[in-house]
Amino acid sequence: MRQGYVIIGFWVVLLIAAGFIVKASLMEEQVLNNRGIIEQHATNALPVEEGVFKLSHNAKEFLELFKHGVTSNKNLVSYRERRAFPGAPPTIPHPTEEAHSMGGNDCLQCHQNGGYVDKFKAYTPITPHPEFINCKQCHVPVKSTVAFKLNNWKKPMAPDTKQQALLGSPPIIPHSLEMRSNCLACHAGPSAPVEIKVSHPDRVNCRQCHALNDNSKNTTKIWTR
Amino acid sequence: MMNRRNFLKKAAAASAMAAAATMIPGILFASDQVDEKLSGNISWTKAPCRFCGVGCGILVGTQNGKAVAVKGDPNSSVNKGLLCVKGYHQIMCTSSADRLTKPLVKKNGKYVETSMEEALDFVASKMKETIEKHGKDSVAMYTSGQSTIPEGYVASKFMKGAIGTNNLDCNARLCMASAVAGFLTTFGADEPMGCYEDIEHANVFVLWGNNMAEMHPVLFSRMLDNRLTRKNVKIIDLATRTTRTSKAADKSILFTPQGDLAIANAICYEIINSGWANQSFIEKHTVFSKGKTNIGYGTEDKFAFKDQAEPIDFEQYKTFLEDYRPDKVEALTGVSAKDIKYLASLYGDPNLKVVSYWCMGMNQHTRGTWINNLVYNIHLLTGKISQPGNGPFSLTGQPSACGTAREVGTFTHKLPKGVVTNKENRELAAKIWKVPYENIPDKPTYHATEMFRAVDRGDIKFIWTQVTNPLVSLPKTSRYRPAMEKESCFVVVSDVFPTPTSDVADVILPAAWHVEKSGMYGNSERRTQYWDQMVEAPGEAMPDAWMTIEIAKRMGYGDLFPYSKENHHEEIYNEYRQFHVGKKHNMAPLEVLKKESGAIWPYIEETGKSTQWRFNSKYDPACNQEKEFDFYGKPNGKAIIWQRPYEPAPEMPDNEYPFWLNTGRVIEHWHTGSMTRRIPVLHQAVPNAYVELHPDDAKQMGIRNKENVKVISRRGTTVLPASINERGMPTKGQVFVPFFDESMMINDVTLDAFCPISKEPDYKKCAVRIEKA
Amino acid sequence: MPIKSYIAFPQANKKTQLIKVLESTTHCEVTPSINKDVLVLVTDTENDQQEEELQRVLDNIEELEHLNLVSGFSDNASIEKRKSNQ
Repeated sequence: MRQGYVIIGFWVVLLIAAGFIVKASLMEEQVLNNRGIIEQHATNALPVEEGVFKLSHNAKEFLELFKHGVTSNKNLVSYRERRAFPGAPPTIPHPTEEAHSMGGNDCLQCHQNGGYVDKFKAYTPITPHPEFINCKQCHVPVKSTVAFKLNNWKKPMAPDTKQQALLGSPPIIPHSLEMRSNCLACHAGPSAPVEIKVSHPDRVNCRQCHALNDNSKNTTKIWTR
Repeated sequence: MMNRRNFLKKAAAASAMAAAATMIPGILFASDQVDEKLSGNISWTKAPCRFCGVGCGILVGTQNGKAVAVKGDPNSSVNKGLLCVKGYHQIMCTSSADRLTKPLVKKNGKYVETSMEEALDFVASKMKETIEKHGKDSVAMYTSGQSTIPEGYVASKFMKGAIGTNNLDCNARLCMASAVAGFLTTFGADEPMGCYEDIEHANVFVLWGNNMAEMHPVLFSRMLDNRLTRKNVKIIDLATRTTRTSKAADKSILFTPQGDLAIANAICYEIINSGWANQSFIEKHTVFSKGKTNIGYGTEDKFAFKDQAEPIDFEQYKTFLEDYRPDKVEALTGVSAKDIKYLASLYGDPNLKVVSYWCMGMNQHTRGTWINNLVYNIHLLTGKISQPGNGPFSLTGQPSACGTAREVGTFTHKLPKGVVTNKENRELAAKIWKVPYENIPDKPTYHATEMFRAVDRGDIKFIWTQVTNPLVSLPKTSRYRPAMEKESCFVVVSDVFPTPTSDVADVILPAAWHVEKSGMYGNSERRTQYWDQMVEAPGEAMPDAWMTIEIAKRMGYGDLFPYSKENHHEEIYNEYRQFHVGKKHNMAPLEVLKKESGAIWPYIEETGKSTQWRFNSKYDPACNQEKEFDFYGKPNGKAIIWQRPYEPAPEMPDNEYPFWLNTGRVIEHWHTGSMTRRIPVLHQAVPNAYVELHPDDAKQMGIRNKENVKVISRRGTTVLPASINERGMPTKGQVFVPFFDESMMINDVTLDAFCPISKEPDYKKCAVRIEKA
Repeated sequence: MPIKSYIAFPQANKKTQLIKVLESTTHCEVTPSINKDVLVLVTDTENDQQEEELQRVLDNIEELEHLNLVSGFSDNASIEKRKSNQ
């Protein structure tokens, strides 16, 4: 009997240890500082800068899909319909089963990497922010189209696509990058809205050519001395 | 012209396109094709980009005499049709409302517009007068790594050949001097031995202190593309702060400022001790040498230093490296022994091709020459040099730091071929310039920092700057701005826009911008590129080369400058080419440059081939073909492995000033921002400078993002908004400021210490204090 | 003033020629697709007579396989005229 407890205890300890190791490696361990060594950056450093390179390992595949015309023909009309205003979290357009789940893997199993889903006969849009797993904190279903009380809300216009400073110059980024720093998630792949789907998803250093002009800095358009 | 009819036509077209999209999935219509047709014919002409040292090929679209569009030149092997955000929008700066179009002369404290003739007469007379009263060395010219080859050439001929003074230096002293000194001390010949094609062959890219994703973005994209398409390609970012590059890299290693000296030596130790050194290469192609130590920092006026080489042997070198065993330098470098050994293993693995890339992190360094030598040591010890995909590559920051500053030699000690101290080099210059041999002075005078110190002291009484903005780009501008404002010095500034430098000028001459004149540039990979003038310069704006020629004529040197106004750039280039005749440095003829997207020197006219990899007999006909490698810059054909120790930075953080200050750039802005801030797209993306803080440091000081913060040093103070976890993240105890913003002059705070060998200042390390503003 | 838009399908391998022909036809504006063998054609004539003539020209273009009318706009005058003709 004793032996049994010892064995169980051993496995419990092993499990706990494994848990710590997994947690530590997920957080990209900070190297001990007592030898004067600089901590390597934590995973949440420079979220906006890092975002541009995410999904770039799929870049060549996105390019092939584009060349072969694989598309869901999703367009900006339906894209904008799901959002109360530009930049708002979209509502969930399909029925979900998991009433008590906050989201997490139930959503990410499809929305992390995209792909064709037979159940809804559609290509899944890829989320630009898979690191946030409490999906239903922001994304909710549409259970009724009848208003409670009439409302005069006027939806602001979304920024124009293809705003180019010169003929043929790379369009500027008209939206803020917070939570939308992963370009490929929305601008490449079969589920990207056709109006903003790029012909060159294989060029993964997007912000080399596309400047952020989202007016969030409330700055004058022209600089004067 | 959006009347009802056009609106309906557009609506009709849009419905047709939408209908087509539902019928044919994935169909695309290029809307810019529609625009092009509506606006008529655009003609496209090639040129190199105006901005960084990558030297992308661009095509500028002109219409009705105006530049209206820019695209990448698909024929250029540098960028293959891709540009960066600055390159795409570069032509827009010229339509800035405050563009200089007429000369301005300061009369009674106010600027008065004059004609170009009047202004040039005035400048020439002032220059003549100053020389008569105070001697040849009382006048100076300060040119640029953005000057075209003709511009640099006539400045050199004018100052050194005609007037007879070595008071010519340029802003490339502030960016590439250490790279040059590194090349000359190790190889005896300047400029990289590899080319950009290395990117297509290498397995490992080690970036030493260079945020390449933002600074050389087109090359970085080539690296990313290779990583996606080829197997076994890694990017390692070795830097003092976390940037976009770190995020894209396979591994990011952070180190303490100045620690690079120890890291490089530790890697060499590890390579030798793990048996990865290429013994036969070392024996056949290298020798060992050491120089002086404790060489100072140049912070005092008239600081002078001359190195002394002493040959040593391999054993002595190995003994020296004992102090740099990886575990011994952990605390000094902030890098774990494990990571150092990892880097060494990448360099040491005979099956991996490794390219090291660096730029300002290693060059703007009080031991810049040394750290350049040390990275060369790593490649020499392993024999990974002068082969496709294997080699050290020093990147440049300016479009013609190589082509003009280094190859034409607009430095106090240089001539187009060789140096002023060498008799044969002076004789050659005298012959080609058709001046008496005695005219060319044989002693260098002032390098950039010393030149402005001489202005401060009153030793220089006339200075003419072209294509550069020293009162934003010099270190310790808190001293040099008042210096330039002094009555004792007459200041002439040629520029396209008003800047803090032109603000103190006595005469401002309006200059033609890039495609408003013809010219040539030379980029980092030894590629010379030519462009034709495409549009007229506005008002009286004139190419800088022609200004120099007009001044020279007025001072009686007209017969030395017999060039025509329409074709002077071609005539000058043909004259200049004579200096570099020979297998080791032949420049391509104009016809080739006009037709191709540039040519790499040494250019072999018989075969029409550019030499891509130098010093390797397989690729470089200038080598002694009996040897496999021939470092022909050195008399015995052997490169030098220099023993260089770690020495600390002159000003390190202490109790009063506890932070390191690092300065640099962002992708949207180039250098002092005089062009890029005037481009609305770029200004709106990054409208002002900021100071990056580590989140923990900010928290401790109670500083929130975007809150105004004072950055204070022993030399000055600048107020900037804080940036926390946005574009870049310094390590704890370090801050970073981009220097493009003339209203937040971070160079008021920096220190004018420099590498005693190269004289290049260190903009990356000084000590500051941070306070809430 | 009929303004009409069509999706135009060229004969096999005749996309470039079709573009050339349509570009030189009066009252026509062409926007080719950059990745498929299809064009968008917008026509703009001043009256019904020109419109009929244009139709005849379009019918006779060899390189044109098929023309899909997508949308059309008339002005009030022609509508009135057609009404009175009925």
